[in-house]
Amino acid sequence: MKRILILIGKIIVKLLRMMKRNAGNLPGIVIWHLSGHKCCSIFKVECPVIAITGTNGKTSVTNCIAKLFESSGKRLIINKEGNNLDTGICSLLLRHCDMSGRVNADLMILETDESHVPVVYSQMKLETLVVLDFFRDQLDRNGEMETLIRKIEGFCKTFSGNLILNGDDPNTARLGRANPDNKNVKYFHAEKYAFATSEIYEASEGRFCPFCGEALSYEYYQYSHIGKFSCEKCGFGTDYEPYVTASDIDLEKHIFTVDGHQYTPRLNSIYNVYNMTAVAAVAKLYNIDRKITEKVISRYTVKNGRMEHFMLGSCQTTLNLAKNPVGANMTLRVMNEMNGEKELLFVLNDNIADGLDVSWIWDINFSIFRDVTRVVTAGTRAYDIAVRIKCSGYDARKIAVRPELDDAVRELASTPGRKFVIANYTAVQPTRAALKRYIAEHGGMSDEKN
Amino acid sequence: MRKIKVLHMYADMLDLYGDSGNMEILEYRCKMRGIDFQREKYSAGNDMPDLSSYDLIYIGGGADLEQQHISADLMRCREEMIKAYKSGSFLFLICGGYQLMGKYYRDADGNKIPGLGLFDYYTVAPDSRRMRCIGNIVIRTNIAEEPVNVVGFENHGGQTHNVKTPLGEVLCGSGNRSGGKTEGYFEKNVIATYLHGPMLSKNPEIADYMIKYCLKHSGAEEELTPINDALEKKCRSVMLKRLLKQ
Repeated sequence: MKRILILIGKIIVKLLRMMKRNAGNLPGIVIWHLSGHKCCSIFKVECPVIAITGTNGKTSVTNCIAKLFESSGKRLIINKEGNNLDTGICSLLLRHCDMSGRVNADLMILETDESHVPVVYSQMKLETLVVLDFFRDQLDRNGEMETLIRKIEGFCKTFSGNLILNGDDPNTARLGRANPDNKNVKYFHAEKYAFATSEIYEASEGRFCPFCGEALSYEYYQYSHIGKFSCEKCGFGTDYEPYVTASDIDLEKHIFTVDGHQYTPRLNSIYNVYNMTAVAAVAKLYNIDRKITEKVISRYTVKNGRMEHFMLGSCQTTLNLAKNPVGANMTLRVMNEMNGEKELLFVLNDNIADGLDVSWIWDINFSIFRDVTRVVTAGTRAYDIAVRIKCSGYDARKIAVRPELDDAVRELASTPGRKFVIANYTAVQPTRAALKRYIAEHGGMSDEKN
Repeated sequence: MRKIKVLHMYADMLDLYGDSGNMEILEYRCKMRGIDFQREKYSAGNDMPDLSSYDLIYIGGGADLEQQHISADLMRCREEMIKAYKSGSFLFLICGGYQLMGKYYRDADGNKIPGLGLFDYYTVAPDSRRMRCIGNIVIRTNIAEEPVNVVGFENHGGQTHNVKTPLGEVLCGSGNRSGGKTEGYFEKNVIATYLHGPMLSKNPEIADYMIKYCLKHSGAEEELTPINDALEKKCRSVMLKRLLKQ
């Protein structure tokens, strides 16, 4: 039966390819239906698998970890395009297996959607699971966050592989207690950075100890609910030593240190420091050469609208995807931490993939705006984000609503100076395209160096 | 200076879908008119404040788990809450806050969680957790000076029955019950609704209705100077056009 499914899957992949269509998900959906919803169980996976999950940062960390192994000569399978559901992973494996379903690889590195971790890895053996963070994200699609964490907690109860957890996020650190017999739990941690606060600054999850219900106390918050937390009642947060620690974080000089080794990342935010510390933890676990790790961490930048740089005419412009308040708050922080005047374009859509509800924008803290001289808004919910920013106390006369993207980019470029662009999920690619159209017509530069 | 005293209850537990935004909007609209918006917070287990001393009491929506956490604490507030309601404090209740003021809430497992019983309605969740009313919603309400179409976003499993004085008539979406025609509960000093969004972000008339009521309750002049709501109204008309195909 499995062989038949493999054959069917491969034929669909072939057909889609012949039609020049993307075979990223559809073959997996067909197999999902035919296999009784266990589309990843038809393969023989004999190589180790590293999975990366969490609300924010999955794609970046997956790509970086892949780079750690690139020069090792190993045959790698990576879901670079972010097809991270069971059906997407199935489609990927169909392209890399023989007719018996045997997967041809020495190592698989798979970005995996949070809710699909138990689904996929009950069907194939997992060696290492990296959990980055849990934030509010599209509540109307994902259901409540607690439900999601419990699903993964359920999986971790019987998982005895390497579990690499963000030790500064109570929502992920709690997974370390799920299986007391697992000796392979490791935490990454980052020391206080210059913009850390003593009070919580942005709407967040996980204010209470998941084990005893006591309010968690924080020595400092790095951003949102990420920080040095502990439970005074039951000791949660104090019962482990970090496996790797990022210290001496200096965003002005673009440096941080892990295990006595200094790194100079090109992407410059506390958010990226956490992602790269997770990468350093994997590098340590797999004994990757220091020089390779350094190269990966210091050279890594992303296209695809994740802190991507453009020259819009003569204006330095940074585009960042924000599909939830934490992502947006991060960009605002990066913007604020930069001296001098700047302008913001916020593109907000409410297509199905975004989640139809846009109320999450009210969890973004706009009151922190520093030297933001103008705001342009665009997207299908351009007016919603305009109202939101206005009610935070920002002068409504400085807000220009331009629902059409080309109009919005033209408006943004009509004045000189530094620009930031935030776009949510379905808005980010059209926004990139609009920026590039402007650049093609009026000059400037897209960052294609990497 | 005119002032409004506001108590935001369970802000740390019940804050879904930007519900805290409603407070930010009221505060903004008061500030634009030179009205002092004094907002205090109450969390489960805090010393019981004198609820009747507030002009406005606000409770947002939460996930099931949080709602269970606070329901016991809320029962502790029952007498105080009834006193505040009867003495004319305004109650603004969203989703979970709305349900908990009724007779009871029966969850998907059949457990009956008692409500405060301030009002006669009751809420029953369908057996299947998958059956939820989710999506954009438009209701027509007559509580402001002129009838207004109010836009919001709903996401609730509970079906609320026996509402005698609804907030409005459903033009698009579900409201109190899937397939029903009414949304929310209204009295001159009560707005209880399933609308998130946050509700006040696109519906300034509703916000001003509350501010006026609260000013009067505090013994101050209730007249409000108009402020520029062009963005809010445009925001709403874009959604109305899309949802009602107007």
